[in-house]
Amino acid sequence: MPAELSLRAPGVPASLDDVHVLLTRAWDQHPDVGDDDRLRFEIAVVEIAGNVVEHAGDPDPVDFDLAVRVEDDRLEARFQDPGRRVDVDFGTADMPDALAETGRGVALALATADELTYRRIGAVNHWLVLRRRRS
Amino acid sequence: MIELDTHPTGAAVVRVDGRLTMVDAPAFRSAVTEAVGEAATTVVVDLSACAFMDSSGLGAVIAGLKAARQAGGDLRIAAPTTQVLTVLQLTNLERVLRPFGSVAEALRAG
Repeated sequence: MPAELSLRAPGVPASLDDVHVLLTRAWDQHPDVGDDDRLRFEIAVVEIAGNVVEHAGDPDPVDFDLAVRVEDDRLEARFQDPGRRVDVDFGTADMPDALAETGRGVALALATADELTYRRIGAVNHWLVLRRRRS
Repeated sequence: MIELDTHPTGAAVVRVDGRLTMVDAPAFRSAVTEAVGEAATTVVVDLSACAFMDSSGLGAVIAGLKAARQAGGDLRIAAPTTQVLTVLQLTNLERVLRPFGSVAEALRAG
């Protein structure tokens, strides 16, 4: 059983479907992961994937890499892309007003992940999404 | 996949089958715009088959709510799945988008 599942996909919205497929494969390989952990991890991972697609792919889409690991005590997703630097301030990533149409992505990821980190290393963006398993 | 079903009574049902993310959000917005343009006063979003909604999908629903209200109508969500309910709770939108148990219930609500 592989310890890690990964993909490389273009930074376009349609690639979100590939992210869902990758997570479904991970759950198929690890049926012991609880429903709530799956649900919340998937929310966090897809929000960051959306952020990668939306921001790092501008103006021209760049490929991004995603690696997902299922460990006994945690779920991890690592994104890398060579797109432009992302300007994110986790300290101010609150939920916007009820009728706002945008601005909930990072806040949702923070609400569902236990650790969310962004680093710019050289010319590459690195995101880590980590959720500790409850079930 | 997004399906639009307009009723002669002035209501429209937008059914989300699968996921409502950045991928399908534009089609969802188009469907609601079409419904409101056809003078639907009540737009019901059937979420019984929506397996996953992200913040882009939620933003499209909020946009639909605003469009319906601006046209003097309303947008209601029906039968959300556990994932969608979780997203509504985490974003504090359960009161703005109060879920109805079924499409029929949402249509009946007047």
